[in-house]
Amino acid sequence: MVVSEIDAYNSFKVTFKPNSVLSAASKQKVVILLTVIPCVIGIAFCLLGAWLVLPFVGLEIAALAYAFYYVNQHETDYESISIDADSLMVERCVGETVSQQVINPYWVKVVQHELPNGELHLYLQSHGKEIEIGRYLTRKQRELLAGQLKQRTGILNKG
Amino acid sequence: MSTTTAAHHDDHGHESHGHPTGLMRWVKSTNHKDIGTMYLWFSFAMFMFAGALAMGIRAELFQPGLQFVQPDVFNQLTTLHGLIMIFGAIMPAFVGFANWQVPLMIGAPDMAFPRLNNMSFWLLIPAAILLLASFFVPGGAASGGWTMYPPLSVQGGMSVDMSIFALHILGVSSIVGSINIITTIFNMRAPGMTLMKMPMFVWTWLITAYLLIAAMPVLAGALTMLITDRHFGTTFFNAAGGGDPVLFQHVFWFFGHPEVYIMILPAFGILSTIIPTFARKPLFGYASMVYATAAIAVLSFVVWAHHMFTTGMPVAGQLFFMYSTMLISVPTGVKVFNWLATMWKGSMTFETPMLFSVAVVFLFTIGGLTGLVCAILPVDIQLQDTYYVVAHFHYVLFSGAAMSIMGGVYYWLPKWTGHMYDEKLGKWHFWTTTIAFNVTFFPMHFTGLAGMPRRIPDYSQQFAEFNMISSVGAFALGISQLLFLYVVIKCIRGGTKATNQVWEGAHGLEWTVASPAPFHTFETPPQVK
Repeated sequence: MVVSEIDAYNSFKVTFKPNSVLSAASKQKVVILLTVIPCVIGIAFCLLGAWLVLPFVGLEIAALAYAFYYVNQHETDYESISIDADSLMVERCVGETVSQQVINPYWVKVVQHELPNGELHLYLQSHGKEIEIGRYLTRKQRELLAGQLKQRTGILNKG
Repeated sequence: MSTTTAAHHDDHGHESHGHPTGLMRWVKSTNHKDIGTMYLWFSFAMFMFAGALAMGIRAELFQPGLQFVQPDVFNQLTTLHGLIMIFGAIMPAFVGFANWQVPLMIGAPDMAFPRLNNMSFWLLIPAAILLLASFFVPGGAASGGWTMYPPLSVQGGMSVDMSIFALHILGVSSIVGSINIITTIFNMRAPGMTLMKMPMFVWTWLITAYLLIAAMPVLAGALTMLITDRHFGTTFFNAAGGGDPVLFQHVFWFFGHPEVYIMILPAFGILSTIIPTFARKPLFGYASMVYATAAIAVLSFVVWAHHMFTTGMPVAGQLFFMYSTMLISVPTGVKVFNWLATMWKGSMTFETPMLFSVAVVFLFTIGGLTGLVCAILPVDIQLQDTYYVVAHFHYVLFSGAAMSIMGGVYYWLPKWTGHMYDEKLGKWHFWTTTIAFNVTFFPMHFTGLAGMPRRIPDYSQQFAEFNMISSVGAFALGISQLLFLYVVIKCIRGGTKATNQVWEGAHGLEWTVASPAPFHTFETPPQVK
């Protein structure tokens, strides 16, 4: 998913985020919705004397909530590509780890690899280095990105 | 700067995750397709083993008197047949389908937690070993029935502990699997795949996973209380210490009845996928199907005591559970109506998956109808623990769940293997299974109505003919499953190349990928319109 595109004078930045089906707030609501009935069941059996059901309900709810929390940790993941006069930077945030790779825009090549299953992968190649980009994009968006990068670096080249 | 396109570079260094091979591919697999395959093979092995136990039961019941096994061994056969069929065959088979199909149907690259997925599967193996090994411990396997009612389960030998431990492990596997499926469906759908655009199979699995989340802690609690009664001096269910054995029945069936729907809702999802394909029409009343599935799930929690009408509950309670049970027939009827309406004026063809689906609609409806008969309180008091109940639940679980699984296997087998199965042999398998199933279980309605009790190795002379017919049918049913195995193996080994779409009327994301489905799919999310 493309979330922003800044097209200021002689600069370019585009940010991609993974497809997010549910927002953090929606995830919370889903977890609450899923846990209400098991809680009621556990408490009801506890009141009837079968109290050992309740710890298992607690364990399960904790596991379910952690699963959604873990997924939500990647809510802030992103990949951004920025180009200015001297550098092309690919910044990636996975979980809480941010990594940056900088290459010279004048010596970069965009390579598209099409796999037999029809998937298209995009790579930036420069000085023996290769960076995969556009992982969060659909095939069509990757093709557009490839064209856009070509156009952008074309402007730089002219400059 | 230049832009180049290099096609067919599947062997270059860009493949960040290759295709593992050898034994370790399966042991350490985190791939949803591999894990799905392992689940399906495991469930088939358990199906054949529990089926072999059933053959033992039917051999003993072929004639009145004791022929092959002692009464205690007979009880072990019935107990383990039930436990293994439910927890080892039917449930893992549907989890196998979920593993294969849910990510493919929602456009996700894999399950949300692939390593947990691997763990869920491998937990099945020690559980199965515990159940199978329990035959060889002193006193033999558990023999108090799959429901493990006290006082028999409190008094039983070491095999009861092994069964309890096995069920605990299977419960952990189910819960972890359910959390994985729920997280996957809620968080990993492709762009544009809204909840109300999800295939019915995904919907039914989402609701099934929720049922598991709600019901499994109850089973875990019941089993733990049972084990503390056995070994730690508690008396939850032990009347000798002031406990209440009927409390176990309440706790058990509070899990046990939703469990029935855990085993049937994914089957409904499979039918809702196959029938529109071969009727060449969209599923009639998609939204009502979703709501009916949810309604069945909700109602499944308020009917449990219909299994306990003879335990002496108050009349008000009996009436409540009678009417609530009858109420389930409304959403179930909606589903049957919608399947029929989907077929109505469709361009129908009857390939093997469709034959199984049509048979399931017909035979499951018989099972549902006999369920309604059992729900009528005064009738149930007569039918309780007779072969009528055995006939009823086999019409629900064999012709409902197991035959849906067979239909589903034929439907998706070309997508999984890349080859078309042998249609002629598939049809032979269908007809032998359907005829043999009815020969086995239909006479049980009559023996049950005549008063033959279940779980007894000997019977009165008056039931001899019907039992002989049932036993002949059962042996034929067992043998016909070997044909199923042969058709599947033949399809894996070769056959006509399957196209991507496989079936002319098939719709959905899984049919957009190659056949066989590549090791990695939808690493690039598809756009759903």
